[in-house]
Amino acid sequence: MSPKLLLLLFLRRWHARIGFAAVVFFLFLAVTGVVLNHATELGLDTKYVHAAWLARWYGLAPEFPRHAFRSGGHDLIAANGRWLLDGRTSGEKFPAPVGLVELPDMVVVASSASLYIYGKDGALIDRLEKGALPATPVQAIGSGAQQLVLRTASGTFETADALSWRPAPRDAIAWSAPAELSAAERERYAQLLEPGVSVQQLLLDLHSGRFAGRYGPLAVDLLAVFLAVLSLSGAWLFLKPRHRRERR
Amino acid sequence: MIRAARRSLAVLMLALGAAAAAYGQVYQEPDDFIAEAFGSKPAPKVLWLTKDIQAQAAAILGHPPAQLRQRYWSEGAKSVWILEETGKEELITAGFVVADGRIDHVRVLVYRESRGQEVRHSSFLKQFKNAKLAQGNRLDRDIDGIVGATLSVGAMERMARLALFFDRTSRG
Repeated sequence: MSPKLLLLLFLRRWHARIGFAAVVFFLFLAVTGVVLNHATELGLDTKYVHAAWLARWYGLAPEFPRHAFRSGGHDLIAANGRWLLDGRTSGEKFPAPVGLVELPDMVVVASSASLYIYGKDGALIDRLEKGALPATPVQAIGSGAQQLVLRTASGTFETADALSWRPAPRDAIAWSAPAELSAAERERYAQLLEPGVSVQQLLLDLHSGRFAGRYGPLAVDLLAVFLAVLSLSGAWLFLKPRHRRERR
Repeated sequence: MIRAARRSLAVLMLALGAAAAAYGQVYQEPDDFIAEAFGSKPAPKVLWLTKDIQAQAAAILGHPPAQLRQRYWSEGAKSVWILEETGKEELITAGFVVADGRIDHVRVLVYRESRGQEVRHSSFLKQFKNAKLAQGNRLDRDIDGIVGATLSVGAMERMARLALFFDRTSRG
């Protein structure tokens, strides 16, 4: 048997072996690659996976909720950038709240730099930041005479519509204060407010191999080498017999 | 070793995300943009997004509007809208001055994405000058994209349409 024929048989055999061995990985890389290319259109950057094992795998130390803010019939518990407002979880990058106040037509949550104004049904009406607030950082939020009151380092301000602010008298204001949670409540709320990883990030880490830790990208590099070998051997197997026929 | 690598990955993710979200690049404070448009900052007005307005805004944005109340500033035929829309992962804050139903000028005020900042350049933003709404709440012109900033360009175009739509709606 000639050396060229031996080489042809060797390549054909290994082309098939490598292709078969890597088929699952190549399909996985192809599917995750296509999905990542359309991640924004599919809304994968806004979808999060919340699971204790995933958080542990990513090394995300979960923050346990310590207290709740309560006003009227509303309550707010926060941890891991997530809020649980009246039993409904929202957001992934929310700031730490400094208080919660119920007013006749709205429920207001304050962080040090912003106000979130909700309707009684929980729909977000408006989010006010630096330019729309009388001063920042907000130190406390309260209510008095059906007015929303903010305490800042620059003074205390009140408003009826969260649009125009005026200095507020310092007396007769019910300030929102955190209420301690029991151990059982902390446990329950910790499960509801587990930290999450975006689906896009997860897919990206799976696609690149980073999900598997330090050696994951090296494994994906090896697959890339296999793919290169398959391409070259495939091209050679395709062209060589044709070349031989043309020579005849 | 693997645990250390995973922790590094998590810390890197959190650090990058937090830095991008918290700081962004502030090119102009919204208050300054409003004051520049009017000479001084007038009192804000409010456009309540009724169900019908929400539906039309959702058709423009491709998703429901984030909030039910939109603040704006206006004097005579001129109005200013400070809008936010996600480019790829983070919000872009842009200011729109609308006069007589046409965009007078646009500025990117805060940019939080890691790439695509080219949308703040005047060579891109000048395309919006005098743009108005055409049929189907679309702009009366095509906006040329920027390679590498496709999603930010899309966000800017959607916000421009929304500003014009809100301006028209606020005038009844």
